[in-house]
Order: sequence, then C-alpha cells, then structure tokens
Amino acid sequence: MIQLADLTVHLPGFTLDRVSFTVPSGDVGVITGATGAGKTTLLEAITGVRDVARGRVTLGDTDVTQQPPERRNAGLVYQHAWLFPHLSVQQNVAYGARSGSIVAALKALLRLEPLMPKPVSTLSGGERQLVALARALAREPATLLLDEPFAAMDSELRDGVRTAVLGWAAERCITTLLVTHDAVEAVQVGSVRFHLDRGVLTVK
Amino acid sequence: MTHSLSRSLLTAIAILCGSTLLVALILPVGTLVGSAGASGILTAFGDADVQRAILLTIVCASSATLLAVAGGIPVAYVLARIPFRGRAIVEALLELPLVIPHPVIGMAILLSMGRQSVVGRTIAPLGLAIVNSPVGIVIAMFVVSAPLFILGARESIARVDPRLESVARTLGDDRWRAVRRVTLPLARNGIVNAGTAMWARATSEFGAIVLIAYHPRVASVLAYDRYVTYGLPTALPVAGALVIVALLILVCVRATRRVERP
Repeated sequence: MIQLADLTVHLPGFTLDRVSFTVPSGDVGVITGATGAGKTTLLEAITGVRDVARGRVTLGDTDVTQQPPERRNAGLVYQHAWLFPHLSVQQNVAYGARSGSIVAALKALLRLEPLMPKPVSTLSGGERQLVALARALAREPATLLLDEPFAAMDSELRDGVRTAVLGWAAERCITTLLVTHDAVEAVQVGSVRFHLDRGVLTVK
Repeated sequence: MTHSLSRSLLTAIAILCGSTLLVALILPVGTLVGSAGASGILTAFGDADVQRAILLTIVCASSATLLAVAGGIPVAYVLARIPFRGRAIVEALLELPLVIPHPVIGMAILLSMGRQSVVGRTIAPLGLAIVNSPVGIVIAMFVVSAPLFILGARESIARVDPRLESVARTLGDDRWRAVRRVTLPLARNGIVNAGTAMWARATSEFGAIVLIAYHPRVASVLAYDRYVTYGLPTALPVAGALVIVALLILVCVRATRRVERP
C-alpha cells in the first residue's frame, strides 16, 4: 500500500500542496499531469530522496516519513533512467540486487542479454530505461515508483515491457505508482488514477 | 568577402596574442635553464643540499596533499551538496589564503603555532615544534594550497548529478555508501586534477615557508638562500635543477592521468 496524508513539499517557486491518496497493496496507481505539475517531485518525496515539509508517507503498514530512502524499500525509475555511467550494464542491474538469481531472471524477462557487453553510454533511450527498470526490480522493492519509464521506447517494445514489468510486480504484490502522459495507458493499467495540476492533486 | 577578412583578422590577432602569452610564460624559465647550462644543472643534481631540499619538498608537499584529500573531500562534499546557513562565509574563509600574501599567512601560522603560542607551548614538552621543522613546512604548504584542492573537489562533486546518488539510495545505499560508490568515482578525474594542482602549488611555496622554516630548507628556500648568499651565478644551477625536477614531475603526473583515462 502507498498512503500519503497531506504530503507537502516546498521547492523554489513551487509547492506540492497537501497531497493525499491511497494505492491499495499490490495495485497500480497512475498519476497524470502536465510538465512541471510536480509528478517527479511527488515520487521523490515518497522514496525519501526529497525532503517533505509536512504530511505522512506510509508504505505497506509502516509510516516511513522519517526513514531514509535506503530503508523504505521503494524502487524509483526516472524517465531519464540515470544509469551509473562508470559501471557496466551488468553492474548497473546488479547494483542493489539482493541475489544473483533475480538478476538472471530479470535479464531474461526484459531480454537484456544483448545489452550486457555494451557500455552504458552507447545505449539508446529505450535501452537505458530497460536497464533502469531491471536495476530497480532487482532490489526486490515492496513499492515501485515509475516516472514515465516507457516513454523512450517504441510502441511495440513499450507494450511488451509494460506488460512484463507490471506482471512481475503483480506476481510479487509490489504496489506500483506510474507517472504517464499517455491517457490510454493510464486507463489500461491504473486501478486508481490521479491527476496533478501545479502541485494540487485531483482523483479521477 | 568582408566576413572572411574579418575572420582572418580575428584569427591573426588570436595567434599573435596566444604567441605573446606563450613567450611571456616560457621566456623567463627558458632563459634561466639556458643560463644555468646542462653541465651546471648536472653538477647541482650531485649537490647533497639540493638532493635533500628536493626530497624534503616532495615529502612535505605530498604529506600536505594527503592531509587535504583526507579532510577536504568531506568538506568539498558538504559544500557541493548540502545547503546550510553560512555556507558563503565558509567558502570565503576557504578562499582567503588564495588572496592574502603568503608571508602574511606565514606570520599568522607563527603567531598561532609558534614557540610562544598555546600550540607551541603544548607540543614543546613532547619534543615537537612547528618552527624550523618539517611539520611547520607541511602546515604552511597545507594552509596556502589546500583551498585549491577543496574548491576544485567541490566543483567536481557538484558536476555529478545528485539524482545518481538518489537512485543509489533507493537501491539500498546510505548516503556515504552512495557517495563512495557513485559520486566519488564519477568525480575522480576532477579530484585528481585538484590534488595535482594543490601538490604543484605546495612544492613551489616560498612566502609562508620562509617565515616558518628557513631550516630545513625546501627547494624554493634553498634557491633563495643561494641567491642572497652567493649571488645569481651560483644560484642559477640550483634553480635550473629545480625547474627540471618540477617539469619531470608534471610530465609524469600528466602521463599517468592519460593512462587512467578510459
């Protein structure tokens, strides 16, 4: 479960204002909104890498508001992927992995084998997102926060990867929050849907 | 046509300015080495005082640089990443040794750590002293050149996107583990450059050291001593030898860095 209560984040010139919602355990919540609406800031606040001014974050049954990111067990995939450029693809995927077997399983699931010998700097946008997804899932998070992780993939690849990732999450009861610009995708995958407009949340 | 002419003129001016600058940089040192002569420089290398001075300079500059690396990286990280009240003041204080004359820094060290100071009186019973000791030389080198390292390291760390650290933390790293595994490796080249700049600055330091430790003599003080005691002709071979050593060290450092690059 992801539960936010009056979550408020202040940034220079922007406020994420008293955001409250609940995504039930194992479900997929979807957030839509224009660029600059605060979607990425919201995900960062949930993971703990962004300080909150007010409010509460509950993941599972635990209030994690005061916990550091490394103790929240929440995976985050940015739209830009943010792969570690000094590490190989293999090292990126295995960075936080709890076991070697899960890395192997994810390589098979996302068909990463051909990418393994490539330097990270030579990957395309879609390939980078694939690696970032595998890296986050290899940590076996209880919560998965996805910031437009399929945006750089072509439509054929996107559908396959989305199905694989969300299927993997569903099998493991991982509660997922997906940010997307794609209205069709939002309706297809979201059991609960929210819209952010300049830092203010509305339920769809 | 006019556009092409103006571009040619600009290129000519750039070449002229660049050449003038290079000549201005190289002429004094080149003249010094040429005047010292190869045989004079070789003889100077056999001088036991010169050998001791070069060794002392290298050991003290390396010690000061290691101290700056150990203590400076955390400071550089905090300045690059963590906003706090008074950060501008801390940065200004760090830059201060770069802008005040180095003999003034020497006086400040003498006052704060000399024989009559609290520090001096405290360490004296232990048989330690700052004045006229290698420890004093290391302190003088550290104070005048550590800001170069800290400010350079800060810039290198600031260039690493903080979101990489954020991702590492969501993957189970605490802050310092993320810094060690992600930020520092990515900032490494800049940190090495800053360390090299600091080390080079420390080896050439004179103004602060001459007030703290005329003995034992580091290379810069030895060259100065030979000049004021025996005059320019006697000092020239020593000065030439020191230039050659500095050049060799810089070439070695740059060659090493080239090998390190992927």
